[in-house]
Amino acid sequence: MYSKTANSLMRSAAWRISLWGALAFAVGTMLVFVMLHRFIANDIQRRSDAWLTGEVAVLGDVAGRTPKDRLYSRVVGEVAELASREVPYKLRSNSNENDFVFFLQVGNDGALKLWVGSGDGLPNLAAIRERKFISDVPYDLYVKGFNSPFRTASMQLDDGSHIYLGLSEQDELRVLKNLRFRFFCLWLLIVLFGSAIVFFVTKRMLGHVRKITEAASQIGQSDLSRRVPTSRRNDEIGHLAQTLNHMLDRIESSMHQLHTITGALAHDLRSPLTAIRGKLEIALSGDFKAEQSEPLVSAIDELDRLTEYLNVSLDVAEAKADALRLSLTEVDLDELIRVMIGLYEPSMSEKGIHVNLRSAGLVTVTADAALLHRVIANLLDNELNHLPASCTVSITLGVNEDAATLLVEDDGPGFASEIVHQIFEQRVKGRDSKGHGLGLAFVEAVVRAHGGSVTASNRPKGGALLLISWPRGSKANIEVPHSLTLVNR
Amino acid sequence: MRLLLVEDEPEISSFVKQSLVEAGYEVDTAENGSAATQLASKQAYHGLIVDLGLPDQDGIDLILQLRRSGINSPVLILSARRSVDDRVKGLEQGGDDYLTKPFALAELLARLRNLLRRNAATSEEAARLRVLDLELDFISRRASRGGEVLNLSPQEFVLLAYLCRHAGRVITRSMLLSEVWGMRFQPNTNIVDVHIYRLRGKVDTEGREPLIRTVRGIGYVLKDR
Repeated sequence: MYSKTANSLMRSAAWRISLWGALAFAVGTMLVFVMLHRFIANDIQRRSDAWLTGEVAVLGDVAGRTPKDRLYSRVVGEVAELASREVPYKLRSNSNENDFVFFLQVGNDGALKLWVGSGDGLPNLAAIRERKFISDVPYDLYVKGFNSPFRTASMQLDDGSHIYLGLSEQDELRVLKNLRFRFFCLWLLIVLFGSAIVFFVTKRMLGHVRKITEAASQIGQSDLSRRVPTSRRNDEIGHLAQTLNHMLDRIESSMHQLHTITGALAHDLRSPLTAIRGKLEIALSGDFKAEQSEPLVSAIDELDRLTEYLNVSLDVAEAKADALRLSLTEVDLDELIRVMIGLYEPSMSEKGIHVNLRSAGLVTVTADAALLHRVIANLLDNELNHLPASCTVSITLGVNEDAATLLVEDDGPGFASEIVHQIFEQRVKGRDSKGHGLGLAFVEAVVRAHGGSVTASNRPKGGALLLISWPRGSKANIEVPHSLTLVNR
Repeated sequence: MRLLLVEDEPEISSFVKQSLVEAGYEVDTAENGSAATQLASKQAYHGLIVDLGLPDQDGIDLILQLRRSGINSPVLILSARRSVDDRVKGLEQGGDDYLTKPFALAELLARLRNLLRRNAATSEEAARLRVLDLELDFISRRASRGGEVLNLSPQEFVLLAYLCRHAGRVITRSMLLSEVWGMRFQPNTNIVDVHIYRLRGKVDTEGREPLIRTVRGIGYVLKDR
């Protein structure tokens, strides 16, 4: 359950938006920090460099002017010692200063002339010697035994000896490290917090979209007079809802028009048909000989066929537009099919066709009874019209949790291969079919209007196979094309 | 019996009236709702035939309005629509009936007779029914002709019983479908004819006067004289 919600969360647009937003924000702030860090590091270095060059000049001056007697090393040493106390950015006042600053004088023979600092200065000397060139600007000197490099400034004295003043970068590095650590903590906090805010805001926004989607899908399935929820805010989502509602207005009005047109068509054609049929019947009730009444009888037959064609055409058109009016009741499919088989059996056996039924017993479905009757009748009419003698029609009624399945198969010639894939299209029929090609289109339209499905195929052993799956859901679950209470005209 | 026919199409109105008069009813016609209301307030009718698509008023509203003013005569509704409005279904439960256009006149007459009889509430279901030499026993559900028991299936018995109850009147195929099998649709095949053919094979055996007669283009009739 948890992983399921987590999964759906990961797939949500809100999650993706906040992820990408957080990423962009994190990278951006990181870039800004890198620039800031460089600026600060450069500034610190510039300051320490300025101090170093200043001090080394002073020391060079002192070393140059001090007479080279036995007091020399003491005087210069004292001055160097003093200088080391004025080190900028010093954090640890209690630390050993000699660890921090060194002063070194090397004679032109390369020997150590004077050393102020911790230890004997030999590693420092070795490091200086390793450096091939001597520059006027301070540089980083890596001394063996120390973790952080020394920023070192040098100067050549008049007597050809060199003096070196080194300042440990330990504190500078610690300051920067501190800065990085604090920034990282803050950055992490901001990114997490920011992405959480973005996530919840977009989730809320997209929640509105989801509500609209849910409402819209329900409208698509049932009630066209309903509308999606609109928010008072005049943002994109508000616009979306308004646009959808506008579209629904138009769909509803065209649906209304369809009802009006089919209603008007039905009425306009039906009234003259009724009049013609009635007059023919009255004429027929007069005293005629059989030969004289024949044209009247066939005219009535033709009229009835025309009416049926008109009815089915309108039904199929309405069902295709999801505008079929259903009045749903509970129907026992098992009983209905038994009655239907009872009705068709004599005609079938007249033609030498056998019918057998296998049923799972009571199968209640929610359906428009009149339409369901016609669906079953159409299926059996089809078998009756197209099967040659001594064939068998097998009807199997099964049931599972959410659908009733009706399987109608026969061992006849099957559907013609050129039409089997479009058998549910209107006016598609076999070459030898005398029907109007609406029977299976009607079946499919009605089944679909009830939320079911129907498939047609040819059996591998030969013969046609029709499988109808009819949902068993309660009234509320079944798709009810919207009920415009259009009064019959 | 006096009937009120409310129908705006003069063509339909005229031939329905003609056949009703021929069937022995007295018929007044109204072309719209207000004329019908006026007529119904002046004169008591045994039954009403109302078309749903009236120029000035919806037929259902007219019926409800008449009901409210205390007119309780049974109503036969004529509808041009093939699927019938739920409101009409509601009325049907109240004892009224409907017919979709185009209809067979025979069916109109049969349904009207049913309605009027239902309203009179006289016809107790008889235990036995006799039509000429045909005899039906509804308790043992057996039929005999001229004293000879006919070997009918239960379905055939129901079919024959329906024909006998309406002996002498034309019964259409769709009436048989709806009354005997409880299905309201127009069959595309001759399923009903085969049932009748089989029944006839058992009732009208050789050497006997045929009782079940086919009225071509309309339906069947069981002779009663």
